[in-house]
Amino acid sequence: MRALRVWLTRLRHALLPLLPSDRDEITDEIESHLQLHIDDNIRAGMTPADARRAALLKFGPLEAIKDDCRARASIRVIDALRQDVAYGCRTLNRARTYACAAILSLALGIGGTTAIFAILDSLLLKPLPVRDANQLVALVAAETGQDALMNYHVWQAIRTRQLLDAPCAWATDLLSVRQGNETSGIDAVWANGTFFAALGMHAIVGRTFEPRDDVGGGGPDGAVVVISHAFWLRRFGGDPAAVGRTLTIDGVPFRIIGVTPPEFFGLEVGRSVDVMLPLETERLLRRIPSRFDSPNWPWLHVMARLRPGETLAGLSAMLRAAQPEIRAATMPAYQKPELREAYLRQAWSMRSAANGSSSLRARYSSALFTLLVIVTLVLLMACVNVANLQLARTIARRSEFSLRSALGASRARILQQHLVESLMLSTCGAVAGYFFSRWAAAVIVGQLSTWASTPFLDLSPDLRVLTATAALTVLTAVLFGTFPAFRAARSDPMHALKGRGTAWGRGRAFGRSALIAQAALSFVLLVGAGLFVRSFAALAHRDLGFDRSRVLVAVLDSRRAVVSAGERLALYERVRDAVASVPGVEAAAFSTATPLGNAGVRFTIDVAGSTMASAAHNVLVNPVSPEWFQTYGTRLMRGRDFTARDTGRAADVVIVNEAFQRRYFPTVDPIDQEIVLTDGESPGRPARIVGVVQDAAFTSVREPIPPTMYRPFTQGAEKLDLLPDVSFSIRAAGEVPPDRLGGAVAAAIARIDGRLSVSFRTVTTYLSAYYVRERALAGISLFFAVCALLLAFAGIYGVTAYSVIQRRAEIAVRIALGATRKGIAALVLRDVGWLAGIGLLAGVLLSMWAARFVRALLFGLDPHDPSTFGLAVLAIATVFALAAWLPALWAARTNPSSVLREG
Amino acid sequence: MGEKQEVWQGTLALMILTTLETMGPQHGYGIARRIEQTSGGRLVLNYGTVYPALLKLEQEGSIKSEWGTSENNRKAKYYSLTSAGRRQLRRETRDWQRATELIARFVSPEPSK
Repeated sequence: MRALRVWLTRLRHALLPLLPSDRDEITDEIESHLQLHIDDNIRAGMTPADARRAALLKFGPLEAIKDDCRARASIRVIDALRQDVAYGCRTLNRARTYACAAILSLALGIGGTTAIFAILDSLLLKPLPVRDANQLVALVAAETGQDALMNYHVWQAIRTRQLLDAPCAWATDLLSVRQGNETSGIDAVWANGTFFAALGMHAIVGRTFEPRDDVGGGGPDGAVVVISHAFWLRRFGGDPAAVGRTLTIDGVPFRIIGVTPPEFFGLEVGRSVDVMLPLETERLLRRIPSRFDSPNWPWLHVMARLRPGETLAGLSAMLRAAQPEIRAATMPAYQKPELREAYLRQAWSMRSAANGSSSLRARYSSALFTLLVIVTLVLLMACVNVANLQLARTIARRSEFSLRSALGASRARILQQHLVESLMLSTCGAVAGYFFSRWAAAVIVGQLSTWASTPFLDLSPDLRVLTATAALTVLTAVLFGTFPAFRAARSDPMHALKGRGTAWGRGRAFGRSALIAQAALSFVLLVGAGLFVRSFAALAHRDLGFDRSRVLVAVLDSRRAVVSAGERLALYERVRDAVASVPGVEAAAFSTATPLGNAGVRFTIDVAGSTMASAAHNVLVNPVSPEWFQTYGTRLMRGRDFTARDTGRAADVVIVNEAFQRRYFPTVDPIDQEIVLTDGESPGRPARIVGVVQDAAFTSVREPIPPTMYRPFTQGAEKLDLLPDVSFSIRAAGEVPPDRLGGAVAAAIARIDGRLSVSFRTVTTYLSAYYVRERALAGISLFFAVCALLLAFAGIYGVTAYSVIQRRAEIAVRIALGATRKGIAALVLRDVGWLAGIGLLAGVLLSMWAARFVRALLFGLDPHDPSTFGLAVLAIATVFALAAWLPALWAARTNPSSVLREG
Repeated sequence: MGEKQEVWQGTLALMILTTLETMGPQHGYGIARRIEQTSGGRLVLNYGTVYPALLKLEQEGSIKSEWGTSENNRKAKYYSLTSAGRRQLRRETRDWQRATELIARFVSPEPSK
């Protein structure tokens, strides 16, 4: 007890001097003691001078006693730390350029690492902001581990069997809200009535929906909607009166009943939900097909909670036992036996849903981990650089350290002082880096946004990110501070007395190995950046089989124009004629789907034919109007385009691409061949191939172009013309930028029917969404590679300049003995060249090994691409030569007489 | 000079506590002088050495201190016993007496001899 009390008093004293008002009480007390003693002595008849001397004599070793008192009053380590920090501040303030350089490079390394880690953290690790998130489990396909999407019947079967605790089902969707004349897209979640209760979430305004709201056509309050906090702020300015108002979603009025808490963004990480709707009211939207009634439309995520004592494995086993019965009871009406079998076979399993689900994970995890490695390497380079700088400073300050150890400073004390200084540098770097990381993380996430979606990641710092930053701070300080600190602690007091020391051989060896490490690391980073940039370029310049830059897409929504389904086709034809006659338009066509465009609409069809090499399953089908190929600049290789005569009443015709021909008609001329189109359920329809077109990408820019078939928009498209949206593709003439055509085209469409609403995007915009990952990887890796090169440049320059200064005497002697200036410069450059060579060799080996891991991220490029490696070698060699050039020049200009006179 | 003694480790605290009990609140200089006087000049004491001891006693809660004014109008820090200090003094005095009695049995000539 007493010891604790003593310790606490001391701690208070140790920390107290941080306050400016505190004074040194011991000094005061001793002063008063001496005064009292002197008074007594004078009264006893001494002279004042004698009195003082006698008092001091009697007092004993004054400073030692003061020190003893101070040591007792405080805690020595903290005291020493305080001194070290103050001393560090003074020395770093004197070497401001050095400190700035060190802090900047550390900030870059620590900040970059923190930024990428924060993104990974929010994408992969952060638990959902709901009650007891760690109890949440999700139903997944055992094969892939991804969320198994269920159709409505399976969900009902699972729920009625009461297999799970607090089960709920949800699905994401893209809907639209109308405000005035403008329609804007919103992120929606359909969820069953127990959704909010299962998550344990309450509304901050109004209420959340309940099972009584989750009935077809709406509950007691009619069709209801719960809105997110972000949407509430954006749309209603956070007005509480928003609750009770009506929101028109996809043309159907929904009544707003509540707002969710600000931290809730939905269950899908990377997406921020705007509205939440009861599952059963999906039918109100009258979509074709309704997701409810379509048995083979899997769209629901199923989630539940683990009961206390229940395990994931136990739950999975139970589900698997119940699965055959559920599967059999919910079998969709598949015609093909293999589809039925596949349906029965797919096994379910459970995974923890504590951190939600995300489609971004699969797409970006490997890229983010690659970036994490890249920024860690940059941080490592920064550490090597700062260690080098520290060492050079240590050597420059060696007489100071020698003097201090001569005055009795222990090695541990010098070591501590040095490490404190390093820690101060890395802390400054970390603070700057932290702010850099907040900015960088937001920029990187912003890079991932496309016309279709803006990824939303909660990047607010949590304990994990802050811990990571703190750990990095300490780690970097240890990495770059330890070696120079040990060198300083080993200072020989004799140096101080001799005035100058001998060269510290070990320090130079460290500088040289640092140089090799820098060459190797920056080479690896450069190769990485080179591979990603070239892969992005290859992807961006891949021939997609159509013009990227000349086409504008207008998505036409005819819902408000009162036309029957049968009349729509005629309306589209009128619109096409009007658009085609707009000045600056070269050609116009319409289709349900555009290449790589609105991702929702894809059709596949089974094809068979007597002369076909094999039966085709699931060939991509695009129903298009005449002149579609001309509009996109896709070349017609043989045969003819569709014409106005290819109507629904005429014989069915199709155009296929070259990939189709290669696969199914490798030996026969496909023109005029007859094929049979089936959808697996009804008997087939014969169709004649009338043309072959160039391969054109339709669903992916990375994959090889699959066999694709085009049909006239008018044929076999009974279901299609029920769709409210159609895409008009408009080819701009000559030099006209396609996005300039929007106004004129919109005016032309408005003249036909004012109720048609239309939205424009260029094909370039659609395409950019497909390059997001590659573009981000290329951009970020290039940025950090350039940073690494700068760091390497600074490092090489520093080491070379330092070694030139150290070898001044030797160089002077060489010159005095007749060495030419050229010879001296070559001497320095040769030295650096050797180190660069060794570093490059190590870098090549390291890159060869590491490149294998990024193979999946590359497009059309071997990870060991020789030209990328060659360019990187060239770049590093150039940087080394440039950085070493100036010190070599100095060396060559050495004036031997002045150096040798200095002794 | 052989008569003069160094202060034994640990005994200084007891001397300070006793001094404070007999004299009441006193400053460091006064305590040091008093200890020297009490020893009848047989104790060599650097006055300074009382300060670390005072600090330790204060941290342990046996004494407390307060700045005040001396009889000849000098600023000085006065120490006084706390109740915990009194208890400590009684305990240590008792322990000390037992120890000296015990030691005396070994080192003093037996009266019966």
